[in-house]
Amino acid sequence: MCDVAVVKKIANCLGVAPGKVQLNDEQVVTRTIGQNKTVQGFATILESLARESKSEAAQNSTSTKEVKAQVYQWLEFAVLYVAPGSKDKYVSKQLLADFNKLFISKSYLVGNFITLADLAVYYAIYDLMKSLSPVDKENYLNLSRWFDHLQQRPEVHQGEPLLNFTTIYLHGWATGTHI
Amino acid sequence: MATGTLYTYPENFRAYKALIAAQYSGAKVKVADNFKFGETNKSAEFLKKFPSGKVPAFETADGKYLSESNAIAYYVANEQLRGGKCPFVQAQVQQWVSFADNEIVPASCAWVFPLLGILPQQKNSTAKQDALVVLELLNKKLLDVTYLAGERISLADIVVFSSLLHLYEYVLEPSVRSAFGNLNRWFVTILNQPQVQAVVKDFKICEKALVFDPKKYAEFQAKTGGKQQQQPKQKEEKKPKEKKEAKKDEPAEELDAADEALALEPKSKDPFDAMPKGTFNFDDFKRVYSNEAEEKSIPYFFEKFDPENYSIWFGEYKYNDELQKVFMSCNLITGMFQRLDKMRKQAFASVCLFGEDNNSTISGVWVWRGQDLAFTLSPDWQVDYEVYDWKKLDPKSEETKKLVTQYFSWAGADKNGRKFNQGKIFK
Ligand SMILES: N[C@@H](CCC(=O)N[C@@H](CS)C(=O)NCC(=O)O)C(=O)O
Repeated sequence: MCDVAVVKKIANCLGVAPGKVQLNDEQVVTRTIGQNKTVQGFATILESLARESKSEAAQNSTSTKEVKAQVYQWLEFAVLYVAPGSKDKYVSKQLLADFNKLFISKSYLVGNFITLADLAVYYAIYDLMKSLSPVDKENYLNLSRWFDHLQQRPEVHQGEPLLNFTTIYLHGWATGTHI
Repeated sequence: MATGTLYTYPENFRAYKALIAAQYSGAKVKVADNFKFGETNKSAEFLKKFPSGKVPAFETADGKYLSESNAIAYYVANEQLRGGKCPFVQAQVQQWVSFADNEIVPASCAWVFPLLGILPQQKNSTAKQDALVVLELLNKKLLDVTYLAGERISLADIVVFSSLLHLYEYVLEPSVRSAFGNLNRWFVTILNQPQVQAVVKDFKICEKALVFDPKKYAEFQAKTGGKQQQQPKQKEEKKPKEKKEAKKDEPAEELDAADEALALEPKSKDPFDAMPKGTFNFDDFKRVYSNEAEEKSIPYFFEKFDPENYSIWFGEYKYNDELQKVFMSCNLITGMFQRLDKMRKQAFASVCLFGEDNNSTISGVWVWRGQDLAFTLSPDWQVDYEVYDWKKLDPKSEETKKLVTQYFSWAGADKNGRKFNQGKIFK
């Protein structure tokens, strides 16, 4: 999913009009609302969306200074590293392993609630998750749990068919590779 | 929106269910002021509203009454907490609420209550293993899901979380809980929700598990007057079949369950039977002591006492610094006497409390058959003896005569000069 598509998805998710979202000459994503109000850069755009939104995820993302700072870091990471990296065979493996490890002890990326960070990483990693075979998913059960949790929210899946994680119930007899 | 008053004592995990639910829904739930557990909930006025006399209990602003913590939590919750619009998720919420009551709470109580001193420690107890099985089940479930029912926090999470609080607070030290990574993740997630933090304040996850402390149990007995010790007798009269069917899903019933276990144990023979029977007759002495003045009964004691087969002991309570109210200390002594019931035939004691509220000591003179500490003879008797220092007295010495005379006649002062306040006779 390209940056432009992700911004539109997230705007939808937050219940905010995306305005005109496009890439400028330097391939940087921009958002224009009204006549000449343009914001530039993925993380900055998402923050502007969050400010306009009353949704749970948007409010959580700005609950404290620390949360705000951590969310910002994940937004940068999602656009600069996750999205491009998930197209590379080796980097993507590492990404999956790292996220899986992170979700052993956490339910969400920042704090203990859904934030923009989850949404940005979710859409950045979506195509990669979609490409995984059931057996692959067996290796990333913690990541799968987080992903499945998000995709079940109607505002997140936005009508797309849900990825199938039911095979994770096989881990009962598949040997313990999940941690 | 639900509005009303919640009756509970502080930090009641059952009350937390409703209080957390109210944080989510915005229901106005006020905790009753001046609630005194055991008093308020046993008053005629309370029993008229809530016949079970149990807490938590909820009185709505328009004068309707609800008991049972799960029902109260349901009432003050909102649609999301009840499982949303989908009947299947609603049913899942019910599933976990039942699971909490039927699996978690009994296992947790059986493990934690003896350590808190509110239930006796049972030998060969499988409480810990039973609890670990339940935790493993939750741990498996929470590998695949973020919340227990649906994709939002619901009463399933709130009720299961509340029911796990004692375990996470008192016994799940790091080395034990490390086996339950998914459960830990979920627990920390729920604990840190602002709505939960508003209710469960300053909660600290266990660093070091509690260990059984006989002193705590003795103190609890003191506060409750050893009430539950009297129950086995009534229980024994019931048919064994009924006993097995008894449920054990709450503290009060837990106590019964512990008693049942005791009652079901084969009656041990009198442990004193193994000892030679001397010439000193306890029944005769007790009769004289009860009916005659000390000027008569104390000389009678020394005249008849058989030092070959009987011994005299001085027992001093180890934790005098912690004694507070006189009536509580007296309950401590009575509770001990009740637990030692089977010793009565072959023992006699006068235990005295010296001093006043917040400055008192307990000590006593004991006489029993045999030359060793009698308490090791039966597991029933070992609850209290560890909280006393025991000294065997030389029956011939003058000092012993003085001590016996003082204690049998309920007079004098302790070694620091605190005046005699009250005495209790074990006979
Ligand atoms: N199933 C009830 C249990 C309530 C209960 O056992 N309450 C205890 C205190 S935690 C109580 O009030 N006991 C007083 C009594 O049994 O007389 C619930 O969940 O509300």
